Parts: sequence; structure tokens; C-alpha cells
Amino acid sequence: MKLGYTIIYVADVPATIKFYEKAFGVQRRFIHDSKLYGEMETGDTILAFADLDVSEMNGLAIVPNDPRGPAAAWEICFVTEQVGEAYERAILKGCTPVAAPSEKPWGQIVSYVRDLNGCLVEIASPVRAAT
Amino acid sequence: MLPDGRCDIIVRKNIHRSDPAIPVITGPSTRAYTVNYEKGDQWHGIRLRPEHGAALWRHGLVDAVDSVLRGQAAKAFLPALAALDDEPMSVHQLERVIPTPARPTVDHRVMWAIDNLHMSGGRLRVEHLAQRLSCTARHLNRLCRQNIGLSAKTYAQLVQFHRTLRLITESDISLAAAAFEGGYADQAHLTRSFRRFGGFVPSEMPWELSLPTLFQIQV
Repeated sequence: MKLGYTIIYVADVPATIKFYEKAFGVQRRFIHDSKLYGEMETGDTILAFADLDVSEMNGLAIVPNDPRGPAAAWEICFVTEQVGEAYERAILKGCTPVAAPSEKPWGQIVSYVRDLNGCLVEIASPVRAAT
Repeated sequence: MLPDGRCDIIVRKNIHRSDPAIPVITGPSTRAYTVNYEKGDQWHGIRLRPEHGAALWRHGLVDAVDSVLRGQAAKAFLPALAALDDEPMSVHQLERVIPTPARPTVDHRVMWAIDNLHMSGGRLRVEHLAQRLSCTARHLNRLCRQNIGLSAKTYAQLVQFHRTLRLITESDISLAAAAFEGGYADQAHLTRSFRRFGGFVPSEMPWELSLPTLFQIQV
């Protein structure tokens, strides 16, 4: 078994995908004709978005993300060598700043923003293998 | 029929008989009821969105909970129904009797609360919803009573009941697991809720249940 998808339930799938393209520079893979589901080009583990109504159709009960309240207890993390640039771009394109880039004791640069839906997104440099 | 807190406008007509159609108007439902069918019965109905109960019942909404108007009483209440007597029945004709001109403006907080209760399977606490809406739970309950006819808490319990019922009937999990995922404290709590809203216990589900399809069709 492997981790295949991270699926985030959102109020507006096309708007969220457009936002992610602009804020984080990831490209869309497709948006279903129904506009209720879409995927991003994120490699082996696909980042996908599904409409909040889909959760009810599938019999799920969820707490919708809310930009005005605290973030849910999980995050997605984009990895890049240019954390500072990526962080600035995310803020410029509409993300809410949470923590500007800073270096961790183990040498990793880490920053946090929240997306249009209030989801926590980390932008960080790769973790270097111990030498 | 299981209750889902919504109001219906229904017209019953038997194609084998020349009797006029019988209109039925229901208030917000919280109790299950039985419908007896006869051969040749045709039913056309409109189920209002929960927050539009006030458009139909106006200030009498809270008193209309679990009440039903039939025949002449329904026509007297909604005179437009009488005009449908001589016409072949269709849902589109029923749409015309919905009292749109007087439809009150629904407070956006009520709609937000309803949407969030559906997404969370009725598991979000009213206090939590109220906090997000910058009002008190008491005020949110009052807003819901004005628009739906039921308190936010009762509406949440109905949503919770329906989702858990679906878990039991469709998801092939144990009653204990369904009670847990549905947000009930224990199986006894689940049983009490099923008795209250369904009139049956979860271990003895009636086979002829009619499940309302919540939010599949928007009117």
C-alpha cells in the first residue's frame, strides 16, 4: 500500500485549483466536468480537491475548513530550494501569513501560510541527509 | 416516511377515481409517519428547503411542527392549491403555489448553519456554530426556529439521525461503530434517537423505510 492522494474538501474546487496554481506554482492535472473534483500535478502523491457537498454524498461527516477559525490539525508541505521566494509569492497571491521562513536547528528552512480556505500549508526546504 | 425537518406541499390523486386531488401541506417534520398507498395513487410533491419553512407558514411556523393540513384545510391555507383541481397534475404546477412573493429574506447565518450541520453530519455543536457566527447559541436557535421552525439543536439531531441511519443501512458496519462515527455517546443514545425520530430501534429496522434525499434537489 502507498499514499496515493491527499484530498481536501473545499467550497469551490475550480477557484481553489486556480489559487494553488497562482500561489504555489503547481499545475492542474484536470477538473472534472461536474466541477466537484480536481487534481494537481504533484507527482506520485496526488493533491486533489473535492467539493464539500461530495463529502455528504459519500456519507462522510467533516468539519469544513474555515479561514476565520483555527486551522485543522494537519497540513500539506511544499518542498523547494527557494523557500523565501515561494513564501513571498504565496502571500502576494492571497495566502495569509502564519510564519515567515526561519531556519530550524537541523538546517531546514521552514515557513507557514494558510490558503484561501484556511488550510495550513508549509513551504520548506528539503531535509538534508545527515553527514 | 422519516422526518427531515422540512415542509412539504403534496397533492394526491388516484387515476382510477374521478375524485378531485387531495392537497396536503406539512409543517416541519420531526416524527415518522405512515403513508397508506392505494392502487392508482399518484403523488406529486415539493419539499421545501428547511430555511424556507417560514415562507409557507409565516408566523405560525413553530406551531406547525409535525402538523398536517389535508383537503379543504390545505386549500383554505393556500388558496392557489384550489386552482389546481381541474388541471392534470405536475410538479411544475405545484411550483406555482409556493408563496414566493412573501418569501422572507433568510438570514445568511441560518443557511450557513444548515450547510455546516449537513457537512458535519449534525456533529458540530450549536455553541460552536454560534461562536463562528459571532452570536449566542440561544440567538442561533431562535433564528433557526423563525426560519426552519425547529431549533438548531433539533435540526442537528435530525441530520445526525439520517447520517447514522445511512451508515447502518449502506456502510456495512456494526451498530456500535455506527453509533461512534455518528457521534452518539453510546448505543443506548443511538437507540433513543432512532426511537424519537424513526419510531423504531436500530436493530429492528423496518424494511419499507422511505429515506428523504436531503439536498439532492433544490427548490
